[in-house]
Amino acid sequence: MTVGERRGASELRFLDPAILSRLGTLELKARTVVEGFLTGLHRSPFKGFSVEFAEYRQYLPGDPLQTIDWKVYARSDRLYVKKFEEETNVECHLLLDVSGSMSYGSHAVTKLRYGSMLAASLAYLMNRQRDAVGLTTFDERIVSMTPPSARPSHLRSILVALDSIAGGSKTNVTRPLQQLAEGIGKRGIVVLISDLLDEPERIIDGLRHFRFRGSDVIVFHLLDPAELTFPFERATRFRDMELGDEVMAVPSVVRERYLESLNAAIERYKRELGSCGIDYSLVDTSTPLDFALMSYLSTRGRAR
Amino acid sequence: MFGLSFLAPLFLAGAVAAAIPILLHLFHRRAEPVVDFAAMRYLRQAPVEQSRRRRVREFVLLALRVAALALMAFAFARPYFASASSALADGATVVLVDTSASLTAPGQFEQVRTRAADVIRRVPVTQAVAVLSFAHTADLVSPLAADHSLALAALSQLQPGGGATSYAAALRRAGEELAGRPGRIVVVTDLQESGWATGMTDGALPDNVTVDVEPVVMPSGNLALTSLRIEGGEAIAGLSNYSADAATAQVVFAAGERRLGAVPLTVPPQGSADARLAVAGIVLGPLSGPLSGPLSGPLSATIADARGYAADNVRYAVADGDGGIFVLAVSASGNPADSLYLERALTIAGGAGGFQFRSIAAAALSSLDDRTFGGVDVVAILGSRGLDQRGRQRLAQFVEAGGGMLVAAGPDVEPDMLTQSPAKVVKTGWQVRDAVATNFAPDDSRHPVFRLFGGAGTLSNVTFSRSALLKAGAEGTVIARYTDGTPAVIEERTGKGRVLLLASDLNYRWNDFPLQPSFVPFVHETVRYLAASRAARTEYLVGELPGHGTSTGVVMIGTRQVAINIDPRESDPGVITTDAFRDSVARIQTLTVQEAGVADQQREDGQGLWRYGLLLMLLTLVGEGLIGRRPG
Repeated sequence: MTVGERRGASELRFLDPAILSRLGTLELKARTVVEGFLTGLHRSPFKGFSVEFAEYRQYLPGDPLQTIDWKVYARSDRLYVKKFEEETNVECHLLLDVSGSMSYGSHAVTKLRYGSMLAASLAYLMNRQRDAVGLTTFDERIVSMTPPSARPSHLRSILVALDSIAGGSKTNVTRPLQQLAEGIGKRGIVVLISDLLDEPERIIDGLRHFRFRGSDVIVFHLLDPAELTFPFERATRFRDMELGDEVMAVPSVVRERYLESLNAAIERYKRELGSCGIDYSLVDTSTPLDFALMSYLSTRGRAR
Repeated sequence: MFGLSFLAPLFLAGAVAAAIPILLHLFHRRAEPVVDFAAMRYLRQAPVEQSRRRRVREFVLLALRVAALALMAFAFARPYFASASSALADGATVVLVDTSASLTAPGQFEQVRTRAADVIRRVPVTQAVAVLSFAHTADLVSPLAADHSLALAALSQLQPGGGATSYAAALRRAGEELAGRPGRIVVVTDLQESGWATGMTDGALPDNVTVDVEPVVMPSGNLALTSLRIEGGEAIAGLSNYSADAATAQVVFAAGERRLGAVPLTVPPQGSADARLAVAGIVLGPLSGPLSGPLSGPLSATIADARGYAADNVRYAVADGDGGIFVLAVSASGNPADSLYLERALTIAGGAGGFQFRSIAAAALSSLDDRTFGGVDVVAILGSRGLDQRGRQRLAQFVEAGGGMLVAAGPDVEPDMLTQSPAKVVKTGWQVRDAVATNFAPDDSRHPVFRLFGGAGTLSNVTFSRSALLKAGAEGTVIARYTDGTPAVIEERTGKGRVLLLASDLNYRWNDFPLQPSFVPFVHETVRYLAASRAARTEYLVGELPGHGTSTGVVMIGTRQVAINIDPRESDPGVITTDAFRDSVARIQTLTVQEAGVADQQREDGQGLWRYGLLLMLLTLVGEGLIGRRPG
């Protein structure tokens, strides 16, 4: 299913990012997204990942076998399953690219704004699930860093940090990723939100560092619809948002070659990141955030 | 700059159009919208223009477009190089030295040299100097150069000749030498009035050229031989006295180096007189036989005039016989009987306006002296036996050079002798046919030979008992036929000459033509027609014959002798004032604006720089197109 098709199928259920961006605070946006997203799920498979024991109950068909308490079965010859209090056992690191290129947006929402909402929604979701969540923003260096914590009040710190983001300079994913990889001691989930407008080789190498250290990695590759379709018509001077230089192009002439290059890069990310066990999600910034959340929860499920 | 001038400089204003691409470049270079874009990494992999490269490319395109428009304006302005030497910045001086016949009085030309040398020495060393000699034409003897010693050296080599003065031609040539740059022309001359008599509109001097005159003193008087002619057995020399006193001179007549006699004469002041010497009966040249006509060959008359011009103290003439057309009859034996009827027919009209006749054997033709043969107008071939190869070649050259030839294809003329190569005297062949009685029937009654007879007329009474069967071809035109339809007379044109081929004889052997009353007029008309192409001037003035310099005398033109004399007007020592000379120059200046334009146009046409301009413009546009289409 393509991004466009997914968007068409979901537009009745989910809030359009443009509408969402007009909501009040980032917390409200995050809550709106996450609650709406969770309400839409028929059954949450993600409840009960904590290690804090809550109660026993009799085994019912369909319960995971690993939840059966075999000691009780040995003593009583009955199958009981353990119920646990929800408690974090995963550190989530949100890495948000705030470089100049992220400030691009052909419609109401820039990639940076979309990325901020996505990061806020993920943070809200993680915090709601008692996962420790931290936020790091970077361009060619680390701009800000909020360490992971599962405390409910920690969410506010992250949202404040996201609210204060301004567009940065050039993208250089490599150095920040190396620094973060060395700084994360515990296994966890690393979520990279970026337009990946850097050398693919360096980005992939940087992300491999996290995998080597045992972390699960999910990459949200944000691209504006104008970047995905190159809809320009007349001859235009395109100014690089990071470097400031200009190139003159006739869109009808360059469109095919541009899309070829872009799709080749996307395919490369999919292929090489997938081979490393890294989840890659291409996100059209005109589509609802729910798809991104779904991708996260899928990865989160593997991290149990 | 670099001597570059323009025939239509107004078109250079079109170069202002070069500002159009500049203005477009300055004010419309941001026509495309500028859009901030993030995914430039992928866009740059497409064929787009980098800004820096685009800027360089835009400047190159701008330069090419400006150059194309400027080149178009340049081409339309019709550029040309006025002269390669125009780069000389400090102006130039052209010294015109009069070498005409009127500078041949004793001591006169030394004055000319002295004056001209003074002029050259006064020229500033930073200026270039050229020296031209002039009479009827102007010749460059020392080109424009900063080294004045070259001009002085060239000056010392000059000598006066027999040419007539033509100031207009001289000034025009000097103007060409200056090639449009400002300068000064100094004319060292005797200010002879007749120098303006010819070629008044022939000069061309731009307004930025000044003309100065260095006058040379004229002799106080001049006695000149102004004509020499032969009339009625007399050699007549005309003398003119251009002085206030009567002049006495002895006119000496000579034929070549042979003195014929001297005639003393007194010429009244400002008047003229003729000296006459009887020359009838005087044999000139090495002719072996008796001369049946008047004098022929070169003749000269000289006087001794110590104070006047030396060049007009001698005059030449070529006596062309004056008795009329010289017919040389070539017969088998040279015996007068072989050409009796022809001779009788011609001598009836001997003397002035008539004919000279001489008979010679065919075998002796090759040994006939050049001077005698040069005076022959028509050769009548009545017999060919004994005609050798050299004789045939001589005949062929004679016709080629304009001589007339009558070939009577009678019993003594062998067709092979005249029609065989290499000396192919006659192109049309013939053969003797059996006896057949026929009469004349002119084919073209308007032909000059037959016009007198009004068609066949009395010619039809001529009876031909035998005749030659002419093989008419493309080379000849049948102008008369026999009554049986076969050609009777064929005309051929060879080079400048004419050949008439009569298909019978002229000596009462194959026909009764010599006994008919139409014979004499037929012979006269035929000979006059054949001699028409031979008629030519025997006297020329210095300068009229190219390649013969400025000397006088008798020279050969082809097979003919002609006399070259000085222009009688050159003997008149009348002068004009310096102011009048300058006025004449000014008049030329007003006349030459248009002519200068014509000269410029011819120069521009010859150089054709506009073609290179347009070619460069096309190349520039091609380059612009290639660079414009190429993505950055």
